[in-house]
Amino acid sequence: MTYWTILLAVEAAAEEGGGLFDLDATLPLMAVQFLLLVAILNAVFYKPLSKALDDRDSYIRSNITDAQERLSKAQNLAKQYEQELAETRRQSQAIIATAQEDAQKIAAQKVAEAQREAQVQREQTQQELNQQKEEAMRSLEQQVDALSNQIVERLLGSVSAG
Amino acid sequence: MEMLNALNVINAFPLAELEVGKQFYWQLGNLKLHGQVFLTSWFVIALLVIVSVLATQKIQRVPSGVQNLMEYALEFIRDLAKNQIGEKEYRPWVPFVGTLFLFIFVSNWSGALVPWKLVHLPSGELAAPTSDINTTVALALLTSLAYFYAGFSKKGLGYFGNYVQPVPFMLPFKIIEDFTKPLSLSFRLFGNILADELVVGVLVLLVPLFVPLPVMALGLFTSAIQALIFATLAAAYIGEAMEDHGEEHGEH
Repeated sequence: MTYWTILLAVEAAAEEGGGLFDLDATLPLMAVQFLLLVAILNAVFYKPLSKALDDRDSYIRSNITDAQERLSKAQNLAKQYEQELAETRRQSQAIIATAQEDAQKIAAQKVAEAQREAQVQREQTQQELNQQKEEAMRSLEQQVDALSNQIVERLLGSVSAG
Repeated sequence: MEMLNALNVINAFPLAELEVGKQFYWQLGNLKLHGQVFLTSWFVIALLVIVSVLATQKIQRVPSGVQNLMEYALEFIRDLAKNQIGEKEYRPWVPFVGTLFLFIFVSNWSGALVPWKLVHLPSGELAAPTSDINTTVALALLTSLAYFYAGFSKKGLGYFGNYVQPVPFMLPFKIIEDFTKPLSLSFRLFGNILADELVVGVLVLLVPLFVPLPVMALGLFTSAIQALIFATLAAAYIGEAMEDHGEEHGEH
């Protein structure tokens, strides 16, 4: 089959001076045509689309850097807030601590005062007690004296009478 | 004898026909042109230009449709050129290498997909432009010119230093290389595409239905690969010509 094809090719070549390897003015014209195509495609295809691709690349890159910047900014803000929060917490703890200290101081003061008062009252009471005791003793002594006088009188009376 | 009769029957059957080496001649002054090659190449060029114009008519930041397709093609071409020529130098060569790829690719596929044979010419028949030796030789010679231009524009006369790198006795081989590069480029493309069309044609001649389909699919694959090979090699030659001394790349 191929043999027949080749025969035909040779035949055609013989007929018209053509054939498979027929180099002629087609070659330079095709080259010129191709260069023209390169120029046209460069104008309508490569340049605009390359520009579009590059633009998109730079757009994406700038977007990414923008986003990164914003991200770092947000992180900085978060860090700042955290620091502020920590500081506020420290402050509040300090306030609580001083309040507690104050309260303890006041309580201690009050307790000491109360104790002092109690002491004073106790001493007063003790004094009163002592006074009353003395008074009682004194009255007792008087009574003892009176009683002993009476006893003596009675004894003496009975002796004189008897 | 039986075979021959069968052949004659098939030959008489107008479903398929095979012509090789017949040209549709145009006369331009006293120059002869292959009309069928120009007709199909104009079709290919028109297709490329129309699609490009459609793709870049209103360029959007988020691509869609034709723009997306052509952006994909452009990125493919850019990657190809970047890999072969290098990050620094590839940009001015993208149009040349890319057009080589697109033109050869669309030519090859038009030969495989467009039913050219339905159009009757006085003599010869329409086929892929790349199945004509003139086209492939033209493209290969342009590639040669391109890499000479690249070498000379980068290094001036220092480009000749490439011929004695890395050792002076490489000189004859390097000189021969300058001839074998366009020769191999043109004949590889020409041979592959013509052979593909012939195989499909012969198979269609023998069994008109279904049997040629796998070969046609293979032909599509070969066509794409050949376009890729041609563009890659062209880019590689250009890159090699612009390369700094001291590095040696093997023959492709």
